[in-house]
Amino acid sequence: MSEAKTETAPGTPGSGWNWKSWIQQGLAVGTLVMLFAFFSFMNPAFYGWSNISGILLATAGIGIMALGTTFVIATGGIDLSIGTGSTFAAVVVGVFGVNVGLPMWLALIIGVGAGALMGFINGFNVAFLRIPPFIATLAMMMVAQGLALILSDVAPIYFRDTPWFSQIALGNLIPGLPNGVLIMFVLVAISAFVLARTKFGRITLAIGSNVEATRLSGIPTKRWLVMIYTFAGMFTAVAGIVMASRLVSAQPQMGVGLELQAIAAVIIGGTSLMGGRASIVGTLIGALIMSTLINGLRIMGVQSEWQFVASGIVIALAVWVDSLRNRSKST
Amino acid sequence: MRKRKATVLLAGLSAAALALAGCANGDGGGDNGDNGDNGGGDGGYHIILVSKGFQHQFWQAVQAGAQEEADAQGVTMDFDGPASETQVDNQLQMLQTAIDSGPDAIGYAALDPEACLPLFDQAEAMDIPIVQFDAACNSEYGNYLAATDGVAAGALAAENMAEELGGEGTIGVVAHSQINSTSIERRDGFIDYMEENHPDIEIVDVQYGDGDHIESADIARAMINANPDLDGLYGTNEGSAIGIVNAISELGIDPGEIAVVGFDSGSAQIEAIQDGSMLGAVTQDPMEIGRLTIRNAIALIEGEELPEFTDTGSFWYDADNIDDEDIRQMIYE
Amino acid sequence: MFTRVFLDEEVVVTNPLLELTGISKSFPGVKALQNVEFTLGGGEVLVLVGENGAGKSTLMKILSGIYQRDEGTIRVDGREVEIPTPAVAQSLGISIIHQEMNLMPDLTVAQNIFIGREPRVLGVIQEGKLNRQTSELLTRLGINVNPKQRVGDMTVAGQQMVEIAKALSYDARVLIMDEPTSALTDTEVETLFELIENLREKGTGVVYISHRMEELKRLADRVVVLRDGQYIGQLDREEIDVPTIIEMMVGRQIKSDVRPPERDFSDAETILRVKGLSTKSLLKDVEFELKKGEILGFAGLMGAGRTETARALIGADSKSAGSVEIHGKPVKIKQPSDAVKHGIGYLSEDRKGIGLLLEQSVAANTVLASLDKFNRFGIMQDGKSKRVAGDYVNDLKTKTPSTQQMVKLLSGGNQQKVVLAKWLVRDTDILIVDEPTRGIDVGAKEEIYSLLEGLAAEGKSIIVISSELPELLRIADRIVVMASGEIRGELLNADATQNRIMDYATQIAEEGELTL
Repeated sequence: MSEAKTETAPGTPGSGWNWKSWIQQGLAVGTLVMLFAFFSFMNPAFYGWSNISGILLATAGIGIMALGTTFVIATGGIDLSIGTGSTFAAVVVGVFGVNVGLPMWLALIIGVGAGALMGFINGFNVAFLRIPPFIATLAMMMVAQGLALILSDVAPIYFRDTPWFSQIALGNLIPGLPNGVLIMFVLVAISAFVLARTKFGRITLAIGSNVEATRLSGIPTKRWLVMIYTFAGMFTAVAGIVMASRLVSAQPQMGVGLELQAIAAVIIGGTSLMGGRASIVGTLIGALIMSTLINGLRIMGVQSEWQFVASGIVIALAVWVDSLRNRSKST
Repeated sequence: MRKRKATVLLAGLSAAALALAGCANGDGGGDNGDNGDNGGGDGGYHIILVSKGFQHQFWQAVQAGAQEEADAQGVTMDFDGPASETQVDNQLQMLQTAIDSGPDAIGYAALDPEACLPLFDQAEAMDIPIVQFDAACNSEYGNYLAATDGVAAGALAAENMAEELGGEGTIGVVAHSQINSTSIERRDGFIDYMEENHPDIEIVDVQYGDGDHIESADIARAMINANPDLDGLYGTNEGSAIGIVNAISELGIDPGEIAVVGFDSGSAQIEAIQDGSMLGAVTQDPMEIGRLTIRNAIALIEGEELPEFTDTGSFWYDADNIDDEDIRQMIYE
Repeated sequence: MFTRVFLDEEVVVTNPLLELTGISKSFPGVKALQNVEFTLGGGEVLVLVGENGAGKSTLMKILSGIYQRDEGTIRVDGREVEIPTPAVAQSLGISIIHQEMNLMPDLTVAQNIFIGREPRVLGVIQEGKLNRQTSELLTRLGINVNPKQRVGDMTVAGQQMVEIAKALSYDARVLIMDEPTSALTDTEVETLFELIENLREKGTGVVYISHRMEELKRLADRVVVLRDGQYIGQLDREEIDVPTIIEMMVGRQIKSDVRPPERDFSDAETILRVKGLSTKSLLKDVEFELKKGEILGFAGLMGAGRTETARALIGADSKSAGSVEIHGKPVKIKQPSDAVKHGIGYLSEDRKGIGLLLEQSVAANTVLASLDKFNRFGIMQDGKSKRVAGDYVNDLKTKTPSTQQMVKLLSGGNQQKVVLAKWLVRDTDILIVDEPTRGIDVGAKEEIYSLLEGLAAEGKSIIVISSELPELLRIADRIVVMASGEIRGELLNADATQNRIMDYATQIAEEGELTL
């Protein structure tokens, strides 16, 4: 019945800020602010710019991965291949740029292409072969890890001959701000725009809300799903390149396990695992919360064991708060 | 529809499995042509080494040493290890497979000293000789270990660090694991040496980065930020050490301002030592570990007496001696 | 009206089973219920009617412990009670059957009915005993269902029976049913009514919420009418008169038994021609034509293949044979996007399930089928979307606070208008409307009919699939009757009667009948 509460749908045309998304975003931002205040109080070294830029840099890889994944999760899917996928893309850059000896800019393009190809295959398997996303991307996670090991011959590939490669993540186009962080912020802006204001974003959310309704509305949902996974794959590759740049080498195992951190960041940021509702800024904040928490505990000298416990609790709390929000909506 | 899903799923998984299997094989072999066959040569033994890993250059050096010795002695050698040093479970499965295939001897490097016990009992029951390398299982059986004395190696690192700091200062430790015995020994050897000999040196923090480069760099950055007057950083393996070096360069701190002591080798570490951003590192002799493991295995098969522990040695190297012939042999790019 | 207990020739009037007085409930900005009252005796069937938004669901939720009333009293057996949770409602003997099914499709009938209350020995479920006690329960209720059947394999009606059995298995004395017949065909409705009769005889009190006027006369001992959260009044059995009730509900007169004016389409252009349409599972050689400006009705029992015809036609399901011509030209339709491209829009029977993005706004839903008209270089023109959505809200008189309202929060009729708007924006020549008024109340139904008629008059061609024969007779120019995946007959409106349609629909023996 129309107990007409005026509630604006999230992530829909010009929905702007309504009180519920305010609460969600507010909680995430609030958590971040509280973490900052707490750690700064515990140790003034925490709020030094050097440490803050360290937090940002530590966020960059996972953050960029999480941006692409936000789109996949917004369709109601999941992408487990982003961790090893990023490694794979970095190794591809290394193989073509160092071993084969192509110009580095070309190798970078090939690397992003490799990420896109992975995403394409994920999307194809999900949309056309109807393999559940969890399984399809789990398979890709393994394949990508294997290929990264094979291509790299199980050894790091060093980018010694291309000194500017390390500048991708570590240079300072803006003084004091590592380029890797800059890249993350630029991608945040781009993906926030794409999600909120473009046909691509609109269809992403429509598929996540109700894929059958979207299909019956004459939108070729399978093709769009492939595009969305491909898009996410490109982000994965960029994340891999940024991480490799930071190491000045492609390490054949560097991305292992990062997929779950990236997914956690997306969920903390208020994107629904069921799809249909997503927030790019939320994802950024989610990623920042994760890395701030770990960094702060390290600054305090807390043991690694407790860092895991704390991260786990934060994730559980964040998703619990989200479920509270959903429950209040469904009554 | 359901059936089709299952088929596709199977296809996907088997493709993935093939990819992984392919990569494992690609690395296991080297140039031993007749894999697994007991034939050829008068020794003709089949020895399986289950290592802690195969990707890391350290393990590749161990494998190379073992292969060299195996070729020299005319025995067949298979080398296997999990993809990462946290995969205790995987490694146990490999050990199980090795036991099931009934070789003449097994060489084992324990990722976890307790988890291996039942399998050692099984090997004992099947009368398969076991020698161990790098790290031991807490079993009575097969108690013959060829390894670097980690405590001594840690102390060696501490000695050189203390000398550089002139006996006073603050140090942070980036270790690679809280569980792994190598990491624990290197950590404790280092810390104990400092406590006993240099009371004015303070260890301000110990954190664990799984030997992951980025993780270790983030840890090192946090330590430096939290302790701006930090004098030294100690990394207990290659990944930890590289992470420290990267963190210092990312923070724009002048090379040498913080004394960095690392472990093992690898091209990045060698470069860092050469350009002065790293004080030096302790290396083991991985090839010797491999060679000795094979020698021990053959001796055991042939019923000879073996000591419980053989130190394969640890060596300090820095910019001064890095080009010496005997050091060069122990470090790898 | 009251439970009568006969003791030694003496008539003792006891307290009513359930008595509500002065119930009010507000939500922020809305008075959902004001001063509602009714009493229900044992063995009595009380039918609650009212348009969407009248407050029926709110009232039910208060009774089942989901919402709390702001004012008023609830008495059960004369005792004043509080119902803070659904569990308390259950223990008071109040059971509710929601419009949406709450069954687990992968469990059997017995497992569903006694979920959480299975007979156990040392924690192990006694499957045999479970089935036996279910069987006893079903026999007692006169429901002919196999306890071991998987619920997901049953028809909607069958599932409804299971829901009822489940509710009654809690020893419910008050059973509340929310539009139980909205998804049922006429035969199935008959079975349900027999069951209700049965319950009445056993002394269960039934509160029955419905939109269907013809059901009132059959069932009701009393009718309570709500409008805009207000209690309007009640009629006893002998006073029940449909026009009066409708007037009470909507506050105005509504015509019944209207037929569309007779129109001749023999010279009109054939917009759509379907030949030999077949699917692997059901359809056999379905052929029909649709003229410009015509409203073509599809009648048949549930499972006859009407919805399947529409889905195969638009490429939502795959077809094994058949060709489609639009404007005389053969077209290939492999997926819904092809159908839309060729000017066919499909409004699903399952509005909430597959017709709408429930969590998105009116505007987002309105433009969903026409995104290409609302973006430039891939960037959405949200101002334009809102404006167009707003125009359609006005044209179709959709009741919504704004175009940004979440569709989920609209009533069924208004949701249907949003779906309609979506296809009007897309401006397809052909609209296939599947059960256009399911779950929509009488007043809004008439509005939807007028809208469809208006569209046809503008030259659009419309296919209406409906399980309600009066609905087809009310709007269709021509009616095609299906059974068992085949077309059995075709009638011009002037020749059509409910009986003739049912003759065709049940033609092949009893095969068209549905087993539960």
